[in-house]
Amino acid sequence: MSYNESGLRRAITAGLLLAITLLLVFARLGMIPVPTPAGNATIAHIPAIIAGILEGPLAGLIVGMGFGFASLTSATIPMFKDPLVALVPRLLIGITAAWAYYPLRRASKRVLGIMVAVLYILLLVFCREVYLSTPWAGIALAVVSTAGVAYLYWWMRREEAGIIGLAIAGAVGSLTNTVLVLTAAVWRGYIPGDAAWGIGLTHGIPEVIVSAIIVVAVVAALRQIGRRKGGSSL
Amino acid sequence: MASYDALRHVSIGQYIPADSAVHRLDPRTKLAIAGLGLVAVVVTTTYVPNMVLLVAILAAVRVSRLSARYMLAGIVPALPVIALLALMQLLFYGNGQGTAALGSRVLLSWGAIRISTAGVRLVIVSLMRFVDLLFLTSLLTNTTTSSALTHGMESLLRPLSAIGLPSHELALVCAIALRFLPILGEEAETIAKAQASRGLDEPRGGRLAFVQYARRLAALIVPLFVDAYRRAEEMTMAMQARCYRGGRGRTYYTRYALGRTDWIALGLTVGLLIVVALAQYSPLP
Repeated sequence: MSYNESGLRRAITAGLLLAITLLLVFARLGMIPVPTPAGNATIAHIPAIIAGILEGPLAGLIVGMGFGFASLTSATIPMFKDPLVALVPRLLIGITAAWAYYPLRRASKRVLGIMVAVLYILLLVFCREVYLSTPWAGIALAVVSTAGVAYLYWWMRREEAGIIGLAIAGAVGSLTNTVLVLTAAVWRGYIPGDAAWGIGLTHGIPEVIVSAIIVVAVVAALRQIGRRKGGSSL
Repeated sequence: MASYDALRHVSIGQYIPADSAVHRLDPRTKLAIAGLGLVAVVVTTTYVPNMVLLVAILAAVRVSRLSARYMLAGIVPALPVIALLALMQLLFYGNGQGTAALGSRVLLSWGAIRISTAGVRLVIVSLMRFVDLLFLTSLLTNTTTSSALTHGMESLLRPLSAIGLPSHELALVCAIALRFLPILGEEAETIAKAQASRGLDEPRGGRLAFVQYARRLAALIVPLFVDAYRRAEEMTMAMQARCYRGGRGRTYYTRYALGRTDWIALGLTVGLLIVVALAQYSPLP
């Protein structure tokens, strides 16, 4: 009875992606200065997203857990020293990315177009709800959503379906990180709701874009390893 | 990219060798105590149990002969941010979030600012929790080597493999991650230098500078991922070629046994937790 090969490969890939995560967190790499009170947009959650996409939800869970622990250990502010804020939300990053990617892998463009339309409608409904409680956030969200969806539609028309699936998975993973961490922070009383919205919009949106870009770039490059043998790898 | 050379020396929570009771404890004991301590710190919300926990953890730091000052040194640069966030917490927590249920009195109310006793308690408890967790994680990582931690974790999780949790695979993931951290650090350094030599500039600033940053980062990160993935493929093949069979029936070279100190430590921890639980659920402040 031979040992489960894919299980071994999953463990090893998860291990290496976890090593990248630890490198990004502890060497403070990949910090993109964004002019917000929380400092920098991060890319340390991206290996967890990629683990989920490439090797499934379990690998994503493990790398996410590692990211949570690393974040917990290297945190210098009380908010991120709390495991319920730093650890628990991160478990879901890889899982949601995997769940977003698997159905979209082979989706046709028409399906994706319909999804974007539905998404836009949901966003507008959500904006209205937010507007009723926090007017400025509702309006900001509506403007951002419209601009975002318009750009998204234009980009999708030019791009391959597989790439779109990757970008969506990357975006979903990053959103999971931002939304759940901020929700936990508000629930535990570290920041008030308004501040959370502010950080979420100013941080979250660049992070989502950066995540989508890098996830697409990385997975596309990895898929080509088998095909293209020559050329520099750097 | 501040200093390329620093990348290969990245480490998590440096192990500091010393001869103390804490260093000599079995890693499983330390992990169990750290885990229970973590839960206790997170769950307690009132003054008295947090004071008890803080005193206990400081005592443990003393026993371990480590320097508390060293552990605190890491947060010194962040003190202004911590102070600012604590201030915001103090001023704005009073808005909503069911503070009335906690029997909280409002001390000062002015416009959007509301300082309540619940807010004060939250700020102080948050700070105590922060110090607790800082010391707890430092204690764990400074007194235990990474390989001991991995062994301990796998050993603790092994009973769960009966219900399908892959404890050995989990330990393998951790061991690989720790082993490859310096290697990938070196790789990242090489990539950074290579890209710099090809003219990868510092971003020029401006409102959309973050897009430039992102592109620059992608040029550094993508080769790193490709390298890691290639190593993963090679390693899988290498391990299979050496007939790696996973955790089934595996024996270990280093073996750990629980000693008297371990049981004493565990007993003390359980006792402490009972005291903390009683304090949390009693009418004490």
